[in-house]
Amino acid sequence: MKRETDYGHPIKTFYHPKDIEGLDYNRDLGDPGSYPYTRGYYPDGYRKRVWTQRMTAGLGSSKQTNEVLRRYREMGQRGGMLVICDRTNAMPIDPDHPIGRREAGVLGWPGASLYEFEQLMDDIPLTGQSITLLGSCAMSSIRLAYIVVLAEKRGIHLKDVHGSVTEYPFCTTFGQTDAQPLDLDLKLWLDSSEYIVRNKIRMRSGILSQHFQESGGNNAQALAVEMAMLKELCGLLVHERGLDFDDVALLPYELVSVGSRFFEDIAKIRALRRMWAKMARETFKAKKEKSCQLLISVHTSGRTMTYQQPLNNIARCAIQTLAGAIAGCTAIDNACLDNAHAEPSPLAARMSLNTQHIVADETGVTDVADPLAGSYFVEYLTNKVEEEAYKIWNKIEEIGGMIAAVEKGFVQKMLKESAQEKHREVESGERLVVGVNELVIPPEEDFQIPIQELKTGDSEEIARRMEEWKKTRNMPLINQKIAQLYVDAKKEDTYNLMPSIIEAVKAYATAGEIIGVIRKARGLSYDPLQAIDCPFDL
Amino acid sequence: MRGVTHRQDIINKQIRGSHMGKRKGIKVLVSVLGLDGHSTGAEIVSRMLMDAGMEVVYLGIYQTPEMIVQAAIQEDVDVIGISSHASNYGQIVDLLGLLKKNHLNDIHVICGGTIPNQQAQELKKKGVSEIFLPQSTSTSIVNYIESNVKRPDV
Repeated sequence: MKRETDYGHPIKTFYHPKDIEGLDYNRDLGDPGSYPYTRGYYPDGYRKRVWTQRMTAGLGSSKQTNEVLRRYREMGQRGGMLVICDRTNAMPIDPDHPIGRREAGVLGWPGASLYEFEQLMDDIPLTGQSITLLGSCAMSSIRLAYIVVLAEKRGIHLKDVHGSVTEYPFCTTFGQTDAQPLDLDLKLWLDSSEYIVRNKIRMRSGILSQHFQESGGNNAQALAVEMAMLKELCGLLVHERGLDFDDVALLPYELVSVGSRFFEDIAKIRALRRMWAKMARETFKAKKEKSCQLLISVHTSGRTMTYQQPLNNIARCAIQTLAGAIAGCTAIDNACLDNAHAEPSPLAARMSLNTQHIVADETGVTDVADPLAGSYFVEYLTNKVEEEAYKIWNKIEEIGGMIAAVEKGFVQKMLKESAQEKHREVESGERLVVGVNELVIPPEEDFQIPIQELKTGDSEEIARRMEEWKKTRNMPLINQKIAQLYVDAKKEDTYNLMPSIIEAVKAYATAGEIIGVIRKARGLSYDPLQAIDCPFDL
Repeated sequence: MRGVTHRQDIINKQIRGSHMGKRKGIKVLVSVLGLDGHSTGAEIVSRMLMDAGMEVVYLGIYQTPEMIVQAAIQEDVDVIGISSHASNYGQIVDLLGLLKKNHLNDIHVICGGTIPNQQAQELKKKGVSEIFLPQSTSTSIVNYIESNVKRPDV
């Protein structure tokens, strides 16, 4: 068995004060609540507020997803809701698109219009809980518009809504494919981010290392990529959009993937807090302490959930949740025991939520902040992963930053090699995975878990419903709003499209239509899949 | 960028395997169907087949059954490998139907990925030759192809 970190650093049999020689408590750690925040942001840890315990919802129609959200609330989901968008929405194309109609509602919620969002949120409050909608970058500005318009319709002050509905422009590089080119994703992300910051909306934007790591990246690479993304994107908001860093710093949130390398995963999160704090203060000259505190949520790793012997995943999930809790984070969402089979069944969802409650309420982990601080091993690992991450991050900077490193293929190559290596390690038995290459049982002896899946025909039904609904819309109003969007989208990249997108969303223009028209204004085909023509006379 | 507008680029960037293996000549098309963007599995399997001496035509993501069949004809492949991550399996069935319609019954369709057991059984009944579940070994995939594909010119 390999005795190395997941980034290939050898691990000794025990650690000693000499291994962390030079560690200066105040400079490198500080008390919880003090710079550089290695030990977390709150002197009282979780005592005032436990992490948000939430489950991902999203499968089938808006109505079905709404029912799941209501069920999660009954199950005791505290603090926030989390909905993931479907594959048509990731592109985005509409569910009634000839290719979309085969996959509407697959792996998520088909959130292609305000109409769908209104159904999703039926009887679900917009305030008093965080609203998180996960999905591709291209849809970010449209999801933000849903929030703005629904708050207005419900007579709620936008400032009372909090959560996150926008995502970073590199997700396409890490397997979370949308069909838009990087320059368009970047423009739409900057527009939505600028709108959030200027209007002081309490909405975060996901700048996530989770996708990178779930695609096979290792812990040191994930830290490096996260920091490179944060530097470039925050830098653009400050320098290109003219925003103050202390306002921009309230925008990003990071979703860390916590896998099965318990101590390394904890070290990674501690190092990340320290790295962000230093960058905020030294590079961006942050004036406020709050700006030095990166919001960090944890996703327990779907990649580690095995297809074989799925009940084993309950144990994995518990260990990973404990790691996330010990590391200190704002929210945790769990991969479920059936993650390698389908979307969470009610049983799997309940198990995941229960796991979080067991960790939070029964183990004592919420009593004390950063309980592993001072462990020779954990402090060594924290220093080591930071050191290795800086090396990789420096290479990215030498290439010219994250955008340049993606355009040159550097990041993709690094990711591909790491994924190949991880596969090889399991195949050769250097890393053991119970049920996969150790303690294997014949499939017929395996416990059959309940599987929730979409039936063939469900996608078609979502598509047909949209076709019918589209006919009922006020087309003159839509045409007018779309025409304005088209004119605005032809202006320079720094011209913010959010106001015209909000108007189009309010008129019930769909995601496929809005992005299609923006594409057309930029000289691209209306339909990213080139299967349909632009229905508007522009 | 992996944008769909660059679909032709993806097709043009087909990965060619080496011809060094003893079973010279086995040609496998590897692809991902529909809107599924999970390409890691397909890329790892492509590499593994190339290392075993097979020729690999990697079509990448956003492929429709029509595009895959067209490429299979043009490239005269022996095997079509579909990597699937919680996808809408109807499209794999469409692909099987389209192959039959084009009298390409000699092409083996194999699938890999997170396919629930019940779906896997259904797909096999409908004509998928073999399904490789997560963490299948390189050896099992390579052996399966080598022992089931009989190319007349080998």
